[in-house]
Amino acid sequence: MTHVLDSIPAASVAEPSVARAARRPRAGLLLPLALLSPSLVFLALFTYWPVVEVLWDATHAVTRRGTRFVGLANFAALFADPTFQRALLNNALYALGTVVPSLILALAFALALNGAGRVRALMRAVFFLPVMIPLVAAAALFLFLFLPGIGLIDHHLARLGLPGANWLGDPDLALSAITVLTVWKNAGYYMLFILAGLQAIPDEAREAALLDGAGPWQRLRFVTLPALRPTFAFVGVIALLNAVTQVDHVFVLTKGGPSDATKLLLFYIYEQAAERYDAGRAAAATVVTLGLLAALTAVSLARGQGPEAAR
Amino acid sequence: MISWWKGAAFALVAAAGLAAPRAAHATDIELFFPVPVDGALARNMSGLIKEFNDSHPDIKATPVFTGSYDDTLLKTRAAIKAGKPPAAVIMSANFLTDLSIEREIAPMDDLIAKDGKTPDAFMGQFFPALLPNAVIDRQVYGVPFHNSTPLLYINADHFKEAGLDPDKPPRTWAELYDAARTLTKREGDRTTRWGLMMPSNYDYGGWILEALTMSNGGRYYNEDYGGEVYYDTPTMLGALTFWSDLVHKAKVHPAGEQKGPAVTGAFLAGQASMMIISTGSLTFIRDTAKFPFKVAFVPMNVRQAVPIGGASLVQPTGLSPEKRAAGWTLIQWLTSPEKSGWWSRATGYFAPNKAAYDLPEMKAFLEKNPDAKIAVDQLANAKPWFATYRTVPVRKAIEDELQAVLSGKRQPKEALAAAQKAADALMRPYVEDTALRLPGAE
Repeated sequence: MTHVLDSIPAASVAEPSVARAARRPRAGLLLPLALLSPSLVFLALFTYWPVVEVLWDATHAVTRRGTRFVGLANFAALFADPTFQRALLNNALYALGTVVPSLILALAFALALNGAGRVRALMRAVFFLPVMIPLVAAAALFLFLFLPGIGLIDHHLARLGLPGANWLGDPDLALSAITVLTVWKNAGYYMLFILAGLQAIPDEAREAALLDGAGPWQRLRFVTLPALRPTFAFVGVIALLNAVTQVDHVFVLTKGGPSDATKLLLFYIYEQAAERYDAGRAAAATVVTLGLLAALTAVSLARGQGPEAAR
Repeated sequence: MISWWKGAAFALVAAAGLAAPRAAHATDIELFFPVPVDGALARNMSGLIKEFNDSHPDIKATPVFTGSYDDTLLKTRAAIKAGKPPAAVIMSANFLTDLSIEREIAPMDDLIAKDGKTPDAFMGQFFPALLPNAVIDRQVYGVPFHNSTPLLYINADHFKEAGLDPDKPPRTWAELYDAARTLTKREGDRTTRWGLMMPSNYDYGGWILEALTMSNGGRYYNEDYGGEVYYDTPTMLGALTFWSDLVHKAKVHPAGEQKGPAVTGAFLAGQASMMIISTGSLTFIRDTAKFPFKVAFVPMNVRQAVPIGGASLVQPTGLSPEKRAAGWTLIQWLTSPEKSGWWSRATGYFAPNKAAYDLPEMKAFLEKNPDAKIAVDQLANAKPWFATYRTVPVRKAIEDELQAVLSGKRQPKEALAAAQKAADALMRPYVEDTALRLPGAE
C-alpha cells in the first residue's frame, strides 16, 4: 500500500520534467531519471515485475508435463471452486463485520476523548494500546482467551453459570471470533484518524450551530459527521485493505478452518500457492482479489471526496 | 507471490554471504527442525546441537526452528527454491513420499555405501514399523529421528472416583464408550467434565482418524502407491461415525474442532478424563500433571493397529558435496543409540534406534517410567503413516470434513464421499502421469 502512495508525489515531480524534456531532450531527462532511479529500480523489482509475473502465472498452467498457456481457464476453475466462493463470502462478511463496528467504535472513542485533559490523554493511550501489539502476538493472546473450557472467556462464563463455547472450533462461531479480535485490534488505530479529523473542524461551524440552538445530536448529525466525511472515506479504505491483507491471526488461530469457516481470500491464495503448488489458480485469485479491492477503493474515495470537491 | 519471495530470499542469501566471513575450515550447515508437540523441544535441540559442534570442530551446525510439521515442509521447499537448501531437515515422516515424487529430497544409499554398509543393514538399526515411511521405491530417503504413536491417556483419580479400575484402561471401543459415559459430568446444560477428548485440528485430526480407522481394520491409504486413499470405505465410515457418536449421541466428547493444546490443557485441568494424543507429549504430561495418570494402547474395534507418527532426517537435493557429507555426519550422530535415547527421554517420543533400549540409562529410565515402555510396546501394532502425492491438501480434504462432522454440519457418509472426491481431484495429475498413463494413449 505505502509504495502506491509514495509513487504519487514521484509521478507529479516527474511530469514537469517530462514537459521540459520535450524542449531539451537529453540533459533535462537524465537528472530526474538519475534521481528517481533508486526508487524506480526497487519499484520495478518489487512492484511492477511481480505484477507482470502474476498476470503471466494467471494465464498459464504448470502441470507435471510442463507449462502452457491456458487463457482464462484458471479463472474459470477458480470461480467453479466452492472453496473460493466460500472464501469470497467469508471475506465479505469479515470486511462488513470488521469495518462497520470498528468505525462506529472509533467514532465513539474519538468523540468521547476529543480535547485536552490528563484522563482523556490516558484513555486515548489505553485505546491505542492494541494497535501497538503485533497481530501475531495479539492472536496468540486470544488463543488463550478463546480456549474452550479452560480459556479466560469460558472460565468467567462458567463462574456466571453459563455454558462456554468452542469459539474457534465451531464453524458457526470461528469467523465471528476472528472478527471480534480484529475490531479490538483496529478500532484504536482508526480513532486516531477521526481525532485528527475532529480537530480539523473549524470552531466557527460548531459555534454557529450553537448560536442557532442546535442540540448535541443535531450538531453531530449536521456539523461533525459531514465534516468527517473525507476522513471516513479514507479510514474506510484503510479498513477495507486491512480486511483483505491481514490474515496473521487466521494463520495463528484457525488456519482457515474449521471446515473452511475462516478461509479468507489471502489465506486461500496462500494455500493454492504454497500447499497445492497451483501457481495458476493462486495468481488468478490474486488478480480477482486485487481487482475487487481496487474497484471498492476507487468507489469509496470518489464517494467520500465527490461532494466536497463539488462544493 | 512465489517469485517475489524468491527474489527476496536471493537478496537475503546474497547479503548473508557477503556479511559472514567463513570460519577457517569448518563447513557451515543448517538443520531445520520443527516442534510439533508440547514441551521444551526447541531448548533441548539447541543443547544437542551445541554438543555436536563441540565434538565436531570441522562442522558448524546451526539449528533453525521452523514451526509445525506443515510449516517445516513449506520452509524447506522455499529454501530449496531459493537455492539454499539446509543440509538436513527433521521432516514429518509422511511427507517423504511427496518430496521424493517431486525429487526434492535425495536418496542416501550412496552415503550409506561409502560407510561400507548396505541400505538393509543400515535401516536394520531401526524398528521395522518405521521403514515404509523412510524407504521409498527401495531407496533410503530418510533416517528415523523421533517417532510416536497415538496413545490413550487416562486420569487415574477420575477413574477411581467413578468406580472404574485405573489399572484396567479401556481396551475396546465398547469399553471406551462406556467409560467415557461414566466419567462425563454435567451441571444442568453445562458439561463440567468430558469423558474423552481427541484433537481434530489440521495435521492432528487426520492422524487420530487414521488410528481409529486402522483400529477398525482399515488401511486409510495405499502404502505402495502415492495416488490412492481409501476415504469412502466401511472401515473409515465406522471410525468417523464412532467419533461423531461420542460427540452427538453420547455427548461425552466436546463438539467442534479441538486443537491439540486445548485437549492437553483440558486433561491437565481435570476437565477431560481421557484423551488420545501422541506419545510425543508424554514427558510434558508427566512433568505437568498434578494427578496420577496412566497410558494404554489405543482401544480397538476390529484389530489392534495404530499409525506411526514423528519425523525422519532428510537431505534436500542440490547440496554441495561438502555440505551433504557434513549433514550426513550430523544425521548419523543424531540417530545414534545414545542421542536417540537421550532425545526420547527428553521428549517422550520413542527412540527409533532399537539399540537405544539396550543402554543402561534407558533401562533405568523405563524401570522408573513404565508408561514410556507402553509407547514402545505399542510399536508391535504400528503401521505406516498416511503418505501420498500432495499429502497436506489430501489430508486437509478429510480433516475439513471431519471438523464438519464433529460440528454437526455433515453426516459421516456424505462427508466421506465429499472428502474422497476432493482427494481424488488433488491426486489426479499424479495418477494421470502414473497409473493412468497407458501405452497407446499418447
